[in-house]
Parts: sequence; structure tokens; C-alpha cells
Amino acid sequence: MAAALTLEGVGKRYGEFQAVKDLSFQVEKGTICGFLGPNGAGKTSTIRMILGLQGVTSGRIGILGADDGRKVRDRIGFLPEERGLYKKMTPVDAIAFFGSLKGLPIGEGRRRAREMLDAQGLGASKKKKMKELSKGMAQKVQLIASVVHRPEFVILDEPFSGLDPVNQQGLEAVIRGLAADGATVLFSTHVMQHAERLCDKVVLLARGQKAFEGTVTEARATSRRFLELEGAIDAAQAAALPGVTGVEIVSDIDGVRVLKAALGQGGKGQEALKAAFLGGLDVRRFELREPSLHDAFISLTGDNPDVDQSVKAEAAR
Amino acid sequence: MNRTFLIALREYAAYAKTVGFWLSLLAFPLFAVLGGAVPILIRTSEPIRAVAVVEEGPAAVGLAGAVSDALRREADRRAERAREAAEKAQAATGVAPAPNAAQGALSSLGGTRIRIVPTPAEITAAAPGEAQTAVVRRLLDEETPRDQRLDAVVFLTRDAEGRPGARVWTARATDDTVEDFVRDALRAANRRSVFEAAGIDGAVVEATESFRPKVTAFSPKSASGGEVSFRDRLPQVIGLAAGFLLWSLIITGASILLNSVMEEKSNKILEVLLSSASATEILAGKVLGVALLTLTVLAAWGSIGAAGMIGFLPQYAGDVGDVLLNGGMLAWFAAFMVGGYMMYAVLFAAIGAFCETPRDAQTLMGPIMMVLVIPLITMQMALRTPDAPAIQIMSMIPFFTPFVMMARLPSEPPMIELIGSIVGMFVFALFMVWVAGRAFRAGALSDVKLSWKAFGAAIRGGGT
Repeated sequence: MAAALTLEGVGKRYGEFQAVKDLSFQVEKGTICGFLGPNGAGKTSTIRMILGLQGVTSGRIGILGADDGRKVRDRIGFLPEERGLYKKMTPVDAIAFFGSLKGLPIGEGRRRAREMLDAQGLGASKKKKMKELSKGMAQKVQLIASVVHRPEFVILDEPFSGLDPVNQQGLEAVIRGLAADGATVLFSTHVMQHAERLCDKVVLLARGQKAFEGTVTEARATSRRFLELEGAIDAAQAAALPGVTGVEIVSDIDGVRVLKAALGQGGKGQEALKAAFLGGLDVRRFELREPSLHDAFISLTGDNPDVDQSVKAEAAR
Repeated sequence: MNRTFLIALREYAAYAKTVGFWLSLLAFPLFAVLGGAVPILIRTSEPIRAVAVVEEGPAAVGLAGAVSDALRREADRRAERAREAAEKAQAATGVAPAPNAAQGALSSLGGTRIRIVPTPAEITAAAPGEAQTAVVRRLLDEETPRDQRLDAVVFLTRDAEGRPGARVWTARATDDTVEDFVRDALRAANRRSVFEAAGIDGAVVEATESFRPKVTAFSPKSASGGEVSFRDRLPQVIGLAAGFLLWSLIITGASILLNSVMEEKSNKILEVLLSSASATEILAGKVLGVALLTLTVLAAWGSIGAAGMIGFLPQYAGDVGDVLLNGGMLAWFAAFMVGGYMMYAVLFAAIGAFCETPRDAQTLMGPIMMVLVIPLITMQMALRTPDAPAIQIMSMIPFFTPFVMMARLPSEPPMIELIGSIVGMFVFALFMVWVAGRAFRAGALSDVKLSWKAFGAAIRGGGT
């Protein structure tokens, strides 16, 4: 499959700070690619370089056959992380205006805007001003504004942030629809569940460097299955179970612990459980779990993606 | 459609569609008229003070007559001045003043708002001292019926050397109109009596005092090559007014731009725009959009001004039009406006790209606004001494050129200076566009708080 986006050894430096380092990956046409990483990992900097909003310090980027995002900006749709639209404009006017900047005639932009707003259940808000809309509604309008010109490549920076679960589900449907219509989608997120459900491929970024590139299944395979145990059990007791290669204490409330016992290659959960019961361990709840993308991320990067790296760096200082 | 033009149109519509814009547009001429009319209205609506004059003792006899004479002379003088002004206007414009023009001019000057009324008998009947003071207090009191009430009572006296003096009772402690008038009247009375004592006839003194020399100004640069007329001085007045107008328009436009960019920065719209258009297109679009707004403001103010001129001062309308069109002032005004607007608009837009609130902008805007006060002062100096070296130098500094050169224009500065300053201004404006473009690009995506250091770094780095 031909690549819609290619990054080769891309780096970005702000003064002394290296935001992105030697980043290479590619996104095939018509696929959905999750660009994952904790806050501060370098996702937004990379996206800005892809769009040509910022220059690269090293390496090269190819997008839709061009060597600079600015040359093909009319064929790209972009939803930034921090969203905003003109507060005094109506959704139809705002969508048509941003469409017109991408070469869509104003009249056609208005027609599509009305159609897409209706499809998103915002028909009743068409004539309201942006400032009168709820945050969720405004985000939908901005998403429509970024794709109204039917781009070939859609870049969504943290599109799910700030949305309630219902709207998150709706947005997932929109992203699937874009891909079904032939668009290539690259979206960044630090919430792994969305990527798990949507992506053909994920690229994991940690501290400005690529930690993984592949399918979700391949990502999961990098992490081990584990047995989750709850009860008055010592970590050492759990570690001694057959097939267990490591134990993590998830919580400890008055001696009642939740433990994650990682199973090694070929380790069987049933045997570990049997040994626990036979050994008289106080097992009150157990669950054999396949690794999630979240687990894969932790095993690949050593970072919890839910923790803001900039906060961690600040704490370290 | 071109992106720059689309951004310009949106920018224009965003303001032009608001009621606030049109209200603020009309507010300036309205307040300008009010600003001129209010002092006149206050003076003409001021009540005429009813003043009783009492001569205290035989030594003061005759002083009341001197005060009445002074009041009459003051009224005559004002009437004479109003007549002269009307005649001058007629000579300058060839339009005959309305029959009541002099009277209208007199009333607009306000005149001395004093009327001497017969002294109530109860004052003169009362024994001097506390009894008389009690009567005066009652007559000045607000509770006293209007037809009996007085605004002031003046007791005229002479001291041991025979010099006139007065005690002035007024209804309001803050009102010194009567006090000032009596002081002037007594000074004149004293002067006359001193001269008369020295053997100079009172009529001679009066004639001397009322003499007003006729001074006529001539200049080889006047239209006639000789006598200077009102028409000759009109370009200077228009030049100064145009300088102020230019300053006001440019700063208004640049400030609109600053706020607009700041709003887009704080609403995170700039980043979306940057993914759809280049920084240059966005900056150019916004500058053009606000330029259209500024032209709208200028057209509206110009129309209101022209209509007001034709409606209320038809005798001057032709001359003003002649100075603007045939004198070439309008063409220079347009050139200075384009250059000046370019310089300040891009600078303010670049600052706005770094700021999310007016408070953020204060770091840079404070010093810039202080610098912008300089041409306001210089323009007034340029009216009297347009060729002073300091004014010449100021007019060559690109930041000040549009305003100061506009004010110098009527004095016909050397063409080399005029061309030099305008070339310098446009070269500098283009440099500002380049510098501000780099700063704008960097500021639009930056989270750095605005400072001179950050601004400088942005210009050097250009946002890459």
C-alpha cells in the first residue's frame, strides 16, 4: 500500500530542548493511524512539522507526495489540540469560511455545513452563535470545519479530549467514516482505548522518540499476559507462583492488595491459580487478563501514558 | 477566492456587522461637535446675574456710574468684535453674513452675564453694619422669591487715599464673575481719575482705551502675493487637523488589529488559520481587512464633516475643498495614511500574536504609546515653526513622518525633504512588514510570554 505520510529521521530542537529525536514512520493511504504518547512526548511538535507550521531541525517529511505540508495544505484537514472558533459566527458561517480557505466555494461550504451539522444532530444550532454552543457541540463544529473540504489526509490532535463518553463514541464513528470514504487519518491521543478500537496502526512516542510502530495486535504482543489477584496476599507469595515472572502492587488497603502477576513465556494462568489455592493464599478475586495497549505502552516505554511527562520532569527538577 | 482576500473580508465583516462599530464611528463626530458646542452652550445658558450696587458714603459717589459705564463699554466692545468677524468672513468668502450673524456671534461669545438692577430700598434704609448685612443675606438667600432675590450686592468704597475698592456679596461663594468684573471696572475708574487729576481729559482717556490698531499681515507666499487672508491660513489649520486625524485613524486601525489578533490567539484560531493559509497571507488579510474598516471610518467621518461644513459653514466649504483637492493635500494624506498604517498595523499585529490578553500586550504597548505621544506634541509646534530644525528632523523619522510631515505640508517644505521622508517611510514600512511577519509567524504558535527579549528572538528565528 502506498504511503500517504513518511517521516525519516525527523528531529526538532527548541534551543537546548530536544522535543523530537530521529523519528521515522509511515502511514499508508486510507488507514487510521494512532499517534500515541503521554503529554509532552512530542506529538504536537511532530504534527506541526507534518503540517509545515514549524520547520524540522533534521530529517525529512513527505506528505501526499510533497516534501512540505504547506504545499498540499488544501488536501489536508487539521483539528488542533486546543480548539476555538470565532465566537460571534454561526456554525454554518464558520465551517464555510474555513472550507473556503481550503478552496471550497463559500456556497458549497454552506450547503455541506448544513448537511454535516444535521448529520451530527446539530441541525437546531445552525443559526446560533458559536459562543452559545456547549463545548461538545463546538468541538463537533470544529471537526466538521476541518473536514468540510473532504481532505485526503486528516490530522486530529487529541480529538477526544474534553468530550463526554457519548460524544467520544460519536467521534469514533466520524473517524471510521472518514477512513471508509478513503481519507487517511492520523490522530494523536494519550488515551489508549480509542486507539485500540480505531487504529489499523499505532506509533508510540516517548520522550520525543519512537517506541513502537505496528498494529495494535503487534503492540499488545510486546506485553505479557497477567493474573490479577486480590486479597491479603504478599507480593513475595505471588511471585513464587509457577509461571509468574514479576509482580506489581496495584493497590493496598489495610493489607488487602490488588496484585498484577505477569506471566512469562509459556506461563499458564490456571496453574498459577491452582498453586495459589493449594498454597492457601487468601485469594478473594482473580482475573486472567490479556495485555491492553495501555499495558503494551507501559512495557514499551516504561511510562504510564496517563501521567503528564512535563509534570514528571517538573517534579524531578 | 484568494485566501488573503477571504481573511480580509471576514475581518471586515466581523466588525462592520456589529452595532458597536457604527456607534463608535458616529461617536467621534458627535463628541467633536459636543466638545465644541458645550462650552458655548454653558456660557449662553448661564443666567444673567442681577447685581445691586451701593455707594458707601459720600466718597464713593460716582463709582456706581463707573461700573455701569464699564458694563456698557464691555457690551459695545463685544458687539464690535462680532461685527468685525462677520465682515472678515464676508471679505474672505464673498458670502454675505446673515442679518443676525453679528448678534449670533455676540451671543455665542456669551458677553458679560451681569445686569445692574436698582438697589432695593431696604438695603440703603438699613443701618450700615449687622443690620445691613442681614438684609443682604436675606436678599441673596435661595428662599427669597425670585423677583426679589439678588445674585450679588456690591458695596463701593474709597479708602483714605481716595482709591476705589469694593465688598462683593454673592449668592454662591464659588462665583467670582461679579468680583472680577467689579475689579476691572474700578481699575479703569481709578486710571481715568488719576489721568484726569494729571490734567488729561476723560474723553481722551476713553478714546485711548477703546483704540484698537488695525494690523494687516502681508506675505509674499499669500495667494495675492501681498495681504494674508483667511484662505492663506486655512491650509495650516487643515494640515494640523489632517495630522491629528491621521494619527487617530492609524492608531484606531492598529489597535483594532491588535485586539483581533489577540482574540484569535486566545481562542486558538490562529493555529487553525495557519494550517489553511501562510502567516504572510493571514497577516496581509487581516491588515487589509482592518484597512477597509479604517477607510469606512474615514469615509463616514469625511461625509459627516463635509455635510456639516456645507450645512452650517457654507462660506468655508469651498475653500476647504479647494485646499484638499487642488492643494494636493488629499493625495499626500492618502500616501501618508498607507505608509503610516502599514508600519503601525503590522507592528501591532505582531505584538498581538504573542498575547492572549491586553495585559500581556502592555509590556510592549506601554513604551510604544509613549513614543506615539511625541508626534502629537510636535504637530502643534509644526503649526507655528514648520521649518525649525527639530521639526525637520522629527518629520524625517519614519515613525513620525506621516503625522509631522502632514502638519508641515501647508508650509511647503522643500520637495527633497518631502520625497525623502516619504521614501524613507515606505522603505521602513516594508522593513516593518518583514520584521513583523517573522514575529507574527513565531508568536502565533508560541506559548512564550511577551517580552522585548522574546520579540527579538522571534524576529531573529522567524518562527522555524
